[in-house]
Amino acid sequence: MADKGKKKRYALVLDSKKCMNCKACVVACKAENGVPVGKFRNWIDEEKRGAYPKLLMTFDPGQCMHCENPSCVRVCPTGASYQRPDGIVLINYSDCIGCRYCMIACPYNARYFREDLGVVDKCTFCVQRVDRGQLPACVETCPSKVRVFGDLDDANGELQALLTTRRYLVKKPETGNGPQLYYLL
Amino acid sequence: MKTIEWGILIVNYLFLGGLSAGIFFVSALATYLQEDGQPAYPRIAKYGAMMAPWPVALGSFLLIFDLGNWYRFYKLFLHFRWESPMSIGSWLLLVFTGITFAAFYAWLPEEARHRLFAWLPKRLAFLKRFDLDLSAWRRPLAMLGFPFSIGVGIYTGVLLGAVQSRPFWNTNLVAQMFLFSALSTGTAALILALSINRKSLDFKQVRFLYTLDICFITLEFFIVLPYLIHGELSVRAVQEALKLILGGPYTVAFWLFFMGMGLLLPLFIELWEMKPVLLAKATVHHNKVLAAGAAFLVLTGGYLLRYIFVYAGQISSFR
Ligand code: SF4
Ligand code: SF4
Repeated sequence: MADKGKKKRYALVLDSKKCMNCKACVVACKAENGVPVGKFRNWIDEEKRGAYPKLLMTFDPGQCMHCENPSCVRVCPTGASYQRPDGIVLINYSDCIGCRYCMIACPYNARYFREDLGVVDKCTFCVQRVDRGQLPACVETCPSKVRVFGDLDDANGELQALLTTRRYLVKKPETGNGPQLYYLL
Repeated sequence: MKTIEWGILIVNYLFLGGLSAGIFFVSALATYLQEDGQPAYPRIAKYGAMMAPWPVALGSFLLIFDLGNWYRFYKLFLHFRWESPMSIGSWLLLVFTGITFAAFYAWLPEEARHRLFAWLPKRLAFLKRFDLDLSAWRRPLAMLGFPFSIGVGIYTGVLLGAVQSRPFWNTNLVAQMFLFSALSTGTAALILALSINRKSLDFKQVRFLYTLDICFITLEFFIVLPYLIHGELSVRAVQEALKLILGGPYTVAFWLFFMGMGLLLPLFIELWEMKPVLLAKATVHHNKVLAAGAAFLVLTGGYLLRYIFVYAGQISSFR
């Protein structure tokens, strides 16, 4: 991640089947980013189906999808929500007026309102770490290696390897947002 | 996390913004239409000009109050983002509010204006030079205000309709629905003002307002209908969203209170009042109570429409 100048597109690949709902990623994110009590930048969606012995239980990690065409950025009246050239969607907190239009426009309900600061916040892919060449806190923490973070434009990278050899889906593609979290099947 | 972010303040704001747009539009029309070089409907023109600035001023205040950082609201005017309906709307609202206050001033009766300036403290006496007669500006201001009043009326709907993540809103019909509802509530507010006034109802002016309102309500009705049909024939997410008003929590509010009492009942009353004009060359019934009642129903219906859309829309989402 160190070679500057080359075009990048950060994304996250998730192998949800490995997820055991330990929520280490949620805790790591809260600690790394000082997320207030009661608010979350990432979470695990549970689905239960059937009854013993025929039953299914799945865990799907969710968070901001760092969309290709982020509707949150489009509706923001002040330009506080923006997308970096490497695809990471961020909020310029000093420009955010707290109108919460972006929260309503996000199909993934990925944003939360910080009452204490009067601004909106969400997952940043831990830019503070990524820009130092480290991995996002959730990725580094996950004990069962569900999360793979990297650069989609890196032809020899792990992301490309996974996405060319495995089947995957993205969530709610019909919204046209172009989510950049890839869920392996 | 799924939360209701826009609450009652936003409902009020959308309603009040639309109300001002409607009042101004009708008042401007009454100013623009002339007979023998005089406004054809002087009382409507004047009442409208006196009333139009206040709802939108209050609404903008509520909107700013609802922000997480209200003192940063000026940042709305440091940027123009054509992709963001809120950005376009803020600019529209600013210009429109300015025009409504200018029209207000131009319509202020002369003695009232003098009295206003007489209140000024000595140190601000230099402002007295603004004690000008702007009555010649009434018509130009009306014409300038037309596009902006339509713009504000339609923007309140675009604000919701342009959000593709909320299937309940995401159709261009919401913009038209809110526009016609805005025009109709504005007309109703003027009917109410005329009917609670001590002066007797003036046949010509009442007929003008009834005619307009019947048109606006009919247009609104024929937007709501396609909205429902179109939604039912749309993709699953939209069909599911429509369940909120077709059996879901907002069904009674929508059908009984909005459609029934807020749209069709006042339409019926207004048609009934106009029956003598429509069927024979007689005058309108001149019933102040019915007029005020119909106007009140239209206003509540308009408010309810905003309420239902703001709340139901935020609940709706893609699965
Ligand atoms: S998931 Fe939501 S908050 Fe994140 S980029 Fe997409 S629209 Fe914006
Ligand atoms: S809450 Fe802040 S980031 Fe979101 S749309 Fe409003 S100004 Fe933009």
